[in-house]
Amino acid sequence: MSVAGYVERNRLGIGGAVATVLVALALAVALDLPIESIVTVGFIERSLQAATPIALAAIGGLYAEKSGVFNIGLEGFMILGAANAAAFVWLIGGESPTQGDLWLAILAAVLVSLVYSLLFAVLLVRYRADQIVAGLAVWFIGLGFGPFSAVLIWGNRNSPGLASVNDVTVPVLANVPVLGPILFDTSPLVLATAVAAVVAWVFLYRTRYGYWIQAAGENPEALDTAGVSVRRVRYASVLFSGAMAGLAGAVLFAHAGSFTGTGDTMVNGRGWIGIVAYLFGNYNPIGAAAAALLFGGLDMLQIQLQTAGIELPNRLVNLFPYVAVVIVLTVWGSTRMPSAVGESYEKEE
Amino acid sequence: MSDDDRSRARALLDDAAVRMLKASALQRLGIAIASTALALAIGLVVVAAAGYDPVTFLADVFEGAFGDENSIGRTLKFTTIFVLVGVAVAVAFRAGVFNIGVQGQFIVGGFATVVAILWLAPLFPAGTVGGLALLVLGTLAGVAAGGLYAAIPGALKAYGDANEIITTIMLNFIAVGVVGYLVEGPLRGEGNRAPNTARIPEYVSLPSVVFDSPDFSLVGLAVALVVVGIVSVVMIRTRIGYDMVTSGHQESAATFSGVDAGRTVVTTMAFSGMIAGVAGAVFAVMIQGYYSDPGGVATYGFDAIAVSLLAANNPLGVVPAALLFGGLDSAGTHIGINSDVPPQLIDGIVGLVVLFVAAPELFRMAARRTGLGGERR
Repeated sequence: MSVAGYVERNRLGIGGAVATVLVALALAVALDLPIESIVTVGFIERSLQAATPIALAAIGGLYAEKSGVFNIGLEGFMILGAANAAAFVWLIGGESPTQGDLWLAILAAVLVSLVYSLLFAVLLVRYRADQIVAGLAVWFIGLGFGPFSAVLIWGNRNSPGLASVNDVTVPVLANVPVLGPILFDTSPLVLATAVAAVVAWVFLYRTRYGYWIQAAGENPEALDTAGVSVRRVRYASVLFSGAMAGLAGAVLFAHAGSFTGTGDTMVNGRGWIGIVAYLFGNYNPIGAAAAALLFGGLDMLQIQLQTAGIELPNRLVNLFPYVAVVIVLTVWGSTRMPSAVGESYEKEE
Repeated sequence: MSDDDRSRARALLDDAAVRMLKASALQRLGIAIASTALALAIGLVVVAAAGYDPVTFLADVFEGAFGDENSIGRTLKFTTIFVLVGVAVAVAFRAGVFNIGVQGQFIVGGFATVVAILWLAPLFPAGTVGGLALLVLGTLAGVAAGGLYAAIPGALKAYGDANEIITTIMLNFIAVGVVGYLVEGPLRGEGNRAPNTARIPEYVSLPSVVFDSPDFSLVGLAVALVVVGIVSVVMIRTRIGYDMVTSGHQESAATFSGVDAGRTVVTTMAFSGMIAGVAGAVFAVMIQGYYSDPGGVATYGFDAIAVSLLAANNPLGVVPAALLFGGLDSAGTHIGINSDVPPQLIDGIVGLVVLFVAAPELFRMAARRTGLGGERR
């Protein structure tokens, strides 16, 4: 799929995104809002940070769905990833963990997520569990066991302040105006996510294995006839999606520096927004990452409005991303799902 | 989603429904029991791994659920709410609509009930008669609010092709945010330090029968059971119910017999949301007596999904399933007070129950392999 082809096929979506931005700008001008103090370098930096976990979860989720398995449990895997990363940081580094401890904890959390998603994949692929219900169950399990482990370790559903990831500053380049602080003086996880989105795109559309994943979702019989195991491809995709969602949770924790387990936990719907991000990006990893950036920006808008002196209640401004999701889905619900999503594949004997 | 995709999504639901129907009532009961037992067993392993005594924990669970009159009252209190929200989910799932938004509809409904009672209270005489009138009007407000809030995702699905799973989940977050904002600021009771509305008048309450508990009344449970009866009759004996179920199972057949698919989706969602509104009203009047920040309100509407699935989405089956969950929640409360085990474990166990209910094949295979269960298929 070339860039031109992508534009061709997604005219409506891209048009919608452009129109949204234009309407927002027009409104800002009409209401005489101070644009310069809303769209600042800091805002873009924060939006990128907020978008990172959403984008990672979205990339994982779209791989699973491309292969024919709807992993609706992203939210749950994210909660478990965040809780585990926090727990590992505490176990490895104690009260004052170092950056090395933090990276080790992220790695450990991803490995544990792999184990979870293997169990999940066995239930989905081998035991043909209902994908929607099982995915919801993962969410409930996360909502229960995430805070449970926090209470077990810290005696509280929220962890104390542990460690957040340091920005990486590239000398000289960081001093470039605008681009410098955004690209060369930021969390390394933001850059890693951008790279991951591109790699995921190349892998999905430019490698043989990527074609297998697409075939497993579109035409499993053909893939089977070609001598490739549909089950194996689906297992791999679900494992990847679970690991990515776990990583997304760990990254969310690494940016925040502590785990929050009250209410809907610190993940607070980001996994669900991830699903909408890849739908909005039409299953394209780069498109999904761009959509995640849109939602991340909406999430960070409240700080900007505050500094610009616009008094809106926090609780209501925090709802922007959720409202946007509903509108996006309704106005632009015309995603084409892969043909065989949700169907378990029975090999012909 | 194109038409093609929609028919595929429908085929998926059909498939799930057929699998459900194929299972005999006994088999379904077996799956429900096995799921719960397996989830509890894993919970016990976690308890042991966390360094607590699983036997004591299990004893605490039973003690907290059915140990004395106090705990039985508490169990029935939770059961009442679970019956109502469970039926709300069952109605939608039966009709092939995934209403995950019962939690939001429950919150909006309960909040509307409290606000309506507070606003109307000055217009009615204080006392039993006024209390009854306010109770009825408040409940109606809750039902209307819940129904309308559910009709939104219904209409978005029917006419905008927006996946209801995601829109209803988003609307849950929105309900919590908006109601939370309202009780924090504009509608906070005068002089309240906590973000709560004012209390509804003392005389607007359900009378306590048998159980002398401030937050449980057998009348509430009776209301829940009456709703179950009404819903069963509507689903089986009326045209609307028939349309809902057939369009859930076989859309094409329903369309041929002249059913407007889009309108049925909206009706189904509204009906489901209205029941969630009743649940919200009962919760607000019987348990809370005011409305607090919904961020802290228990997740009845989510657990309701487990309740409904355990009951194979049958309104009558919801009653025993709700009793099980009422018992689990009551045990959770007991454990939170009397034991060191974090009560969040119960939420995790509920999640595991849902996970296993989603995979009936797991138990079928296990039964076949061990030769137990005697199912010849």
